[in-house]
Amino acid sequence: MERTDLELVQQCQAGEMSAFQELVSRYHQKVYMVILGLLRNREDALEVAQETFFRAYRKINGFQGGSSFYTWLYRIAVNLSIDTQRRQKRNPLDFRETMDGVFESQNEVARDPFADVHDKELREKLNRAINELTPEHKAVIVLRTIEGLSYKDIGEILGCSEGTVMSRLHYARKKLQDKLSAFL
Amino acid sequence: MNGCENRIEAIERWLDGELSGAEAESLRVHVTACAECAETQRRLEKIQRTLQGALRAEAQQLEFQRFWRAVQIRINEKRPWHREALERLRSAFPASRAAWAVPAVIALLLAAISLESYLPFWRGAGRNSFATVESIDAYGRNVALLREYDTKTTVIWLYQDQEGENEAAEETAPSGPAF
Repeated sequence: MERTDLELVQQCQAGEMSAFQELVSRYHQKVYMVILGLLRNREDALEVAQETFFRAYRKINGFQGGSSFYTWLYRIAVNLSIDTQRRQKRNPLDFRETMDGVFESQNEVARDPFADVHDKELREKLNRAINELTPEHKAVIVLRTIEGLSYKDIGEILGCSEGTVMSRLHYARKKLQDKLSAFL
Repeated sequence: MNGCENRIEAIERWLDGELSGAEAESLRVHVTACAECAETQRRLEKIQRTLQGALRAEAQQLEFQRFWRAVQIRINEKRPWHREALERLRSAFPASRAAWAVPAVIALLLAAISLESYLPFWRGAGRNSFATVESIDAYGRNVALLREYDTKTTVIWLYQDQEGENEAAEETAPSGPAF
């Protein structure tokens, strides 16, 4: 029978490294996806994802179970990402180079060449439009769109109310629609 | 327009699964019959699908064993004490908790450049004093103070670093579709 996150955390708190390995195995892709959505750069995202799990390991004895493990983990990931984003003044050209592979890998499975071109343009425009959002607006869009988290969970992760989550989501979506109006 | 602009937020909450059963059903019925709201739904879902598709494809390429080894190396690595201290400080004082830092830094800077009034021997080379602290909370908030002694004027700047992304993105935007 599969152990729950809380059971794994408790075993990890008791010193069982394999329990932590199991938690990393469960969440490494999700955490990476959220961070990549925020930072838009593969190398930075990988670095911050690894640091997220390191910090989680260091702090795991303080995890009381008051919130779910994943909201606790995502909180670490989002804080580290926002911190990284604000401290690093990355050249947007880096981002464009590193994200090109995403477009290419998706194009391989496209069948209609016109749809292919249109979708590629949409993805490029979407990436650029997301990159122009503030870190707080990016965070709500990514956590909701990628992970499908509830407003309550997003509020817990970002330390704000559900109302704030809702208004940030609405603002971010409006911005994205305005920027992408010709491609939707 | 059918006057449905005020339904956009409700449609978003519906697609996000945040409406109650009765509200969701009522909105679903409306969207089925309203072309404008159906278009809003289609656009929102397309943005979601596009973003999900790109990032999921990327995350699936992440190999677990290599990732886990890198995490293990970090766990076993001994970090310098100053890095540990800085990391602990940062995690203990995220941006929301660091609001006190702004007035505290201003007070410290004011005290520092006011020393001249009380300690004559402290007088420096110039008649003006200028002090600046960058990124006082690691979130890009900066403080600068200028004290002009002839007019006994103190100017305080409190400013935040700009992301610089909007301008840069505009500059690098391609000139036309890549056909």
